[in-house]
Amino acid sequence: MRNANGKLNGYRGRKPARYSAFDLVRYGIRHGQWPRVWREHDLSPTYDVVIVGAGIHGLATAYYLAVNHGVGRIAVVDRGYVGGGNSGRNTAIVRSNYLTPEGVRFYDRSLDLYEHLSADLNFNVMFSQRGHLTLAHTDASLRTMAWRAEVNKVEGIDSSVIGPEEIKKLVPYLDTSGRTRYPVLGALYHPPGGTVRHDAVNWGYARGADARGVEIHQSTEVLGIDVVGDKVTGVRTNRGRISTPVVVNCTAGHATLLSDMVGVKMPVITHPLQAAVTEPVKMFLDTVVVSGTLHVYVSQTDRGELVFGASTDPYASYSMRGSLEFTEELAGHILELMPSIGKLRLLRQWSGLCDMTPDFSPIMGTTPVEGFLVDVGWGTYGFKAGPVAGETMAELIATKKTPELIAPFDLARFAEGRLVGEKGAASVGH
Amino acid sequence: MIRIPCPFCGPRNSNEFAYKGESKRRPDPATATAEEWRAYLYDHDNPEGWVREGWYHRAGCRRYLKVERHTLTNEVRSAEPAVGA
Amino acid sequence: MTATMKSGVATRRLPPQEGEVIDRGAALTFSWAGHSHRAYRGDTIVSALLAAGVTVFSRGFKYHRPRGVLSASSLDPGCLLQVGDEPNVRGAHRRVEPGMEVHPQNVWPSLRYDVKSANQLVGRFLGAGFYYKTFMKPERLWPAYEQVLKRFATGGRVSAHSPHGYYDKRYAHPDVLVAGGGPAGMAAAVAAADAGAGVLLVEEEYELGGHLRWGDATERVALAELRAAVGAHPGIEVLTNSVVTGRYDDNWVAVLQRRHPDVTGGGFGPAGSRVQERLVKARAGALVVAPGLVERPYVFDGNDRPGVMLSTAARRLVNLWAVKPGDRAVVFTANAAGDAAVTDLQRVGVDVARVVDARRGGDVVSAIGGRNGAVAAVELADGTKVDCDLLVTAVGWTAPTSLLNMSGDKPLYEPRAARFLPGGRLPDTVYVTGGIAGDGSLDELVAHARAIGAAAAAGEGSRAAGAPTLGVDAHPALFKGRTHGMVDFSEDISSKDLVAAAKEGYDSIELMKRYTTVTMGPSQGKLETVNAVAVLSEATGRTIGETGTTVWRPPYTPISLGAHGGRILEPVRYSPMQPWHEAHGARPLIAGQWIRPDHYGNPEAEVRNVRHAVGIIDVTPLGKLDLRGPDVPKLLNLLYVNKWSKLAIGGVRYGVMCAEDGVVMDDGVTGHLDEDHYFMSTTTSGAATVWEWMENWLQTERPDWQVHVTPVSTAFASVNIAGPRSRELLGRLCTDVELGGEDFPYMNVRKGTIAGVPGCYMWRIGFTGELSYEIHVPASYGLHVWESLLRAGEDLGVDAFGVEAQRVMRLEKGHFIVSQDTDGLTKASGAGLDWLVKLDKDDFAGKPELVWQQGERYQRLVGLQPVDPSVVPPESSLIVRGESDIVGRITSSRRSPTLGRAICLGFVAPELASAGTTVTVLLPDKRRIPARVMEHHAHFDPEGVRLRG
Repeated sequence: MRNANGKLNGYRGRKPARYSAFDLVRYGIRHGQWPRVWREHDLSPTYDVVIVGAGIHGLATAYYLAVNHGVGRIAVVDRGYVGGGNSGRNTAIVRSNYLTPEGVRFYDRSLDLYEHLSADLNFNVMFSQRGHLTLAHTDASLRTMAWRAEVNKVEGIDSSVIGPEEIKKLVPYLDTSGRTRYPVLGALYHPPGGTVRHDAVNWGYARGADARGVEIHQSTEVLGIDVVGDKVTGVRTNRGRISTPVVVNCTAGHATLLSDMVGVKMPVITHPLQAAVTEPVKMFLDTVVVSGTLHVYVSQTDRGELVFGASTDPYASYSMRGSLEFTEELAGHILELMPSIGKLRLLRQWSGLCDMTPDFSPIMGTTPVEGFLVDVGWGTYGFKAGPVAGETMAELIATKKTPELIAPFDLARFAEGRLVGEKGAASVGH
Repeated sequence: MIRIPCPFCGPRNSNEFAYKGESKRRPDPATATAEEWRAYLYDHDNPEGWVREGWYHRAGCRRYLKVERHTLTNEVRSAEPAVGA
Repeated sequence: MTATMKSGVATRRLPPQEGEVIDRGAALTFSWAGHSHRAYRGDTIVSALLAAGVTVFSRGFKYHRPRGVLSASSLDPGCLLQVGDEPNVRGAHRRVEPGMEVHPQNVWPSLRYDVKSANQLVGRFLGAGFYYKTFMKPERLWPAYEQVLKRFATGGRVSAHSPHGYYDKRYAHPDVLVAGGGPAGMAAAVAAADAGAGVLLVEEEYELGGHLRWGDATERVALAELRAAVGAHPGIEVLTNSVVTGRYDDNWVAVLQRRHPDVTGGGFGPAGSRVQERLVKARAGALVVAPGLVERPYVFDGNDRPGVMLSTAARRLVNLWAVKPGDRAVVFTANAAGDAAVTDLQRVGVDVARVVDARRGGDVVSAIGGRNGAVAAVELADGTKVDCDLLVTAVGWTAPTSLLNMSGDKPLYEPRAARFLPGGRLPDTVYVTGGIAGDGSLDELVAHARAIGAAAAAGEGSRAAGAPTLGVDAHPALFKGRTHGMVDFSEDISSKDLVAAAKEGYDSIELMKRYTTVTMGPSQGKLETVNAVAVLSEATGRTIGETGTTVWRPPYTPISLGAHGGRILEPVRYSPMQPWHEAHGARPLIAGQWIRPDHYGNPEAEVRNVRHAVGIIDVTPLGKLDLRGPDVPKLLNLLYVNKWSKLAIGGVRYGVMCAEDGVVMDDGVTGHLDEDHYFMSTTTSGAATVWEWMENWLQTERPDWQVHVTPVSTAFASVNIAGPRSRELLGRLCTDVELGGEDFPYMNVRKGTIAGVPGCYMWRIGFTGELSYEIHVPASYGLHVWESLLRAGEDLGVDAFGVEAQRVMRLEKGHFIVSQDTDGLTKASGAGLDWLVKLDKDDFAGKPELVWQQGERYQRLVGLQPVDPSVVPPESSLIVRGESDIVGRITSSRRSPTLGRAICLGFVAPELASAGTTVTVLLPDKRRIPARVMEHHAHFDPEGVRLRG
């Protein structure tokens, strides 16, 4: 790791099998069996750190704790399987063209980590900087795009407002005629934005963490958290009790329910966020296209499917059954943008759960309960932040000092009335 | 599409309504501390289970309703007028 | 058989069959890969091509092996074809239409010579997920690798030039909706209708009947009876070529209805309608799930070769389309369906070389390929090889449980039947019948269905005691044989891939699905899931029940974006004066739902005309609320940050509303018209929000207050008459109101007659900074009043002006615009409204935050002027300190035609907010220019001499 303090000094696992083209051929010829990507363990009675949630945030936190800080016994527990929550349900878009300087710096560090993640993890996460376009259909949104572009430029981010002609060159299927109900007036173009294969990020971190001695416990549900005085002492799970001084809430969609176990109230409301994918067709869309006004974002995977997302469901819910009105609205809006693809079929829809905060920014850091840390409230942008969240949470856990990058995102800001300015761009979406 | 049994209009599709979030009591602004006021602004129970919340029948009778809904199944158990409650 | 034959000699068409659906009197012509072919009406694309001797319809996704017919149904993974500009058409379902242009997909350059089939040679290195293990270094080369991977994207093509199709939607309210028009579905529908229910019966294929259609003589008799019963019942509406695609909360059921010219009753809309598909949204009292069963492929070496097909495929081809599926067959059977296939094949002259009976321990080991990869021989478990060109398998059934999963059920694996059955966790409004519910003779299934239909109609509840049940027959558990073979034909995933993935640690069904992409292709797992689960179970030593299945998600069948979207309906709003605007070259501006004139050609001239003469602007989109009742002042005091108790009748006041967090929400003026009667204006975009906000307070927090709110935004057309001659102009049309400065002073409201229209409100207010009157006239007279003003003021130099000119003038005057000059965190003090906020009021929305945040370190909105008057900073330019410390931004910026210089509003850090400070504006072109903070927001006439004139 670049900027890693103490490279691999937390190494206490086994040497991971290297993945390479050479080994692919070697294993292929011998019809060999690859080693397990991560191992199974019995639950130990004590750990130094217990991370709840085996998604990108939890796994990355564990990985960087082991790699950057050499922290000893780490357990990542999850009631389901690795990457089965939002880490495997998002639309895998990455970008750093946020509105506030603190947002830009934070997400840009994440993008930086993503860029080198395949090499760092020796696992191809299919980082694809295909460019990210946020369309503006009104003067007002054009102004917001310009605002973001200016902040981005000052922060050294490649981001600019472009006009319909340039947009048409990037996305030939887009109706830029100006004769539509929501004409395309311009777009915020962010060339470094793009997509990453979300599952690969989960598995890559899990494999990397496992190789360095982190224990990943799937099908391990947290039933309660023991607090003595104002201090965390342990975790009760369906597989037994664990003693630990540090519990990290890395759950997405269940931030409230876990925090309730220690009595820490969360400024969070959980809304489903739905997504859908079409049948594959030959490549025709090379960039990520977002329309805040029409609440839709779309990209085409390497397999040829279009992946769509929209805004969160209109009411709070923990249901992941999905709705018809979501696909109806989504299709109507995408056909506003690309009227010629009406014959393309939606293949599957799914839902994730988003813990929304009042200022469209996460909640990271310490809580009034000593040893209970949170990395939650990720709304619709948790995937983008996975690597940097892991890196900074690991630093916080190891050094007990809050890294500057995440200082603006503390829980106390709500009670103290210091909301983060991303709310200014609230309508902008993904 | 869940249905909400509007006490004025009968059962209607939820997209006729605007969701207004968990019912909360507004603290007395004259005496509330900053902490209490901001808990009112920002904190939520956000339970996985039954919740009492406000819905506004925007495309119907334009009444605010108090609705009991289960956040996992989305089952609506009751809907009554918010007025005078 | 050859791979392709030129124009259609029907070599494999059989003589007429009893149950055939083709009309031999109606020949059609279509094209396949550029060659003309013949078909009969009723043929699917694939049946017509098979009849013409075509056996290969596509190539596999990864290894590009040739693929033929597997299921001869909509699920057939090898039969996805391009029809005109429509990709991924289910060629084994879609019927031929005259002139159709059909092409194979996923072949390059042609079906016959496919370059990528070289992948077969390196296949052993391309196991599932291979791409995760390579291309990591050097990083700079990955984008190039990615481009290569993308070339393998499968599927058809969409066109940038396809017209927006015609699609439609419909609501339905059936008492009972039956999903599946097989014998059980038909019987349930009839029983429900007999009980008085309104029934919607939905069948995916073109005719009702399910498997009875390709059955024997007895089954055809039963089919005729059931069809007659359905047809005779007025309470049943039948939709064929239609699919129940999803069941959502509260029995909200989606049905995709597809048009086809051949289908009786399948067309919809008026005659000649071009509607292609219709999404029917049904609120069903009860949903009866009766989709039947899907025949499951067998996993063994070579199972994806052309010529290997399911027993139902063989029987459908023979009986429905009179196509001979091969000349010499081996049939591997474990059940009656396989036995029936033997009978059918023998009847039509296929040489059944061997019947391999799984019930007696027989097994097939390998399908050996011949020319073009099609099956040429079969190797059996005893080592013998049998030459054949057709291998039919009948190894069992998969229950298509999607609709049950969507309803909250968790189907359970029944080892005895070797398939999943309903798990008993359905809501009371969802019922199950037919093969998915259990086994039985046709009579037993029909009896069960009738009982279910009656119970559904009566609303007895599917969990009610005494609900009818079906038994379960034993069936051999046959998933994967002794060799590895293809599990997912769409994704080219073999059982070997799955075993390898499981051993690597991707050993739960969801992880395996994600890692290998098994079941994620266009057939959505209906053919593949259970085999994948079985292979995983074997690899992990768990049972199928323990392994479970993936979660089936909507839609049950892929639905086009067009059908989902329906007719695109995005309404817009125009003012009554729109005809005039259009006739006078107005450039449209989109303002939320409204389309309004931005300008009429020269906004600077429009500004000058207002400043020097008089102009009129259409401000109809302003939000307007009529407030009545004794407690209106209390409400205004609660919602606005300033005081309202003492506003006299005839008075008008400006107000700002904050949300409970102190953030500026809206602004506008409110006038006191009469005893207990007020009139409020809001911003255009805030109209609905403010109204709801008011209702919220009145209905929940202050129900005892007597206030009635009526939204009247579109009941009135609104015009602002602005400029030094505005009084004179209005005076020419209004004779019953004294307009003189003392009789009708600034910030007052009057009611009167304008251009003969009584009941108009006139406000003397001044957003533009000029003497001006805002008039609200009954909307139907809007155009009349507008044109009257222009006529009456011709000699005064009156002209229309648009939003752009108004924006310039309001900026000259320093009036901020909510959401342009404020954002989601701007509190009243930040917007420079301390003068307006009355913290000595007992209570008002957002007050506590405004008390606590007085004088805090938030950016302030200030008037700004670039030192160089000729540089107009683009809006959103940042204000910086040093190299990159962002300390503010420009929110509004224009060249003022009145002052001949650049003027701005913008946010700056509080320490920079005092008048006279020079700040640095960073322009988008990277220039840095100095700008001065002004004493007032207003750049022009800050004392308001003109508007009070």
